[in-house]
Amino acid sequence: MNSASFENLLQALSDAKVDFILIGGVAAVAMGSARATFDVDVVHDQSPDNLARIVTALGSHAPYPRGAPTGLPFKFDLMTLQQATNLTLTTNLGDIDLLGEVPGGVNYHDLLPDSVLIQVFGSECRCVTLDKLIHLKRSAGRPRDFEALSELESLRDLNE
Amino acid sequence: MTPEIIKHYQKDIDKTLLIENLKLTPQQRSEKFVKFMELCFELRSNAAANRAASRKVTAQNNQ
Repeated sequence: MNSASFENLLQALSDAKVDFILIGGVAAVAMGSARATFDVDVVHDQSPDNLARIVTALGSHAPYPRGAPTGLPFKFDLMTLQQATNLTLTTNLGDIDLLGEVPGGVNYHDLLPDSVLIQVFGSECRCVTLDKLIHLKRSAGRPRDFEALSELESLRDLNE
Repeated sequence: MTPEIIKHYQKDIDKTLLIENLKLTPQQRSEKFVKFMELCFELRSNAAANRAASRKVTAQNNQ
């Protein structure tokens, strides 16, 4: 992973015309966060056509389950993506979390009304709104998100 | 998660950084972030190299 990873990953997804919405730390950066993050989190449309586009986008970049022992019989194909709703992957472009759903059973189509098209990391992509990002973090309810959440709420206060 | 916890954490947020970021477009924010992450990755890489060197010295001293 290096600093070009964010651009390269988003470019690969955009080039393959993958339908996805940026969430997590990278979405927070787009909204004004000053915090570091080391992976890209996206919620993707789970239609077979879109999953096939994800395979096209990332398949040649050595995707592998992040943190898993080496040598597992992991195959990054349509069937794997259909069977695994959420995948946390390392690739030679960088780390990416491919999420079919986020806590609360929220999927791509649920998030679409709460997303905006923005130019970020050199690509035009759909990004979750600040309000929805706060809502998602609150729903996750993880103590490690407290700081990030307080920053996002500060951003919302400053925006008002 | 209660609002009180978030308010407690908000006291320590450096709002000057956020105010500066809000003056930028999302693309400009991402470019600033990439520069910041370049430094982070360099620090991580240097720290890993230092740990490896330190382990080597410790191993040599233990021989």
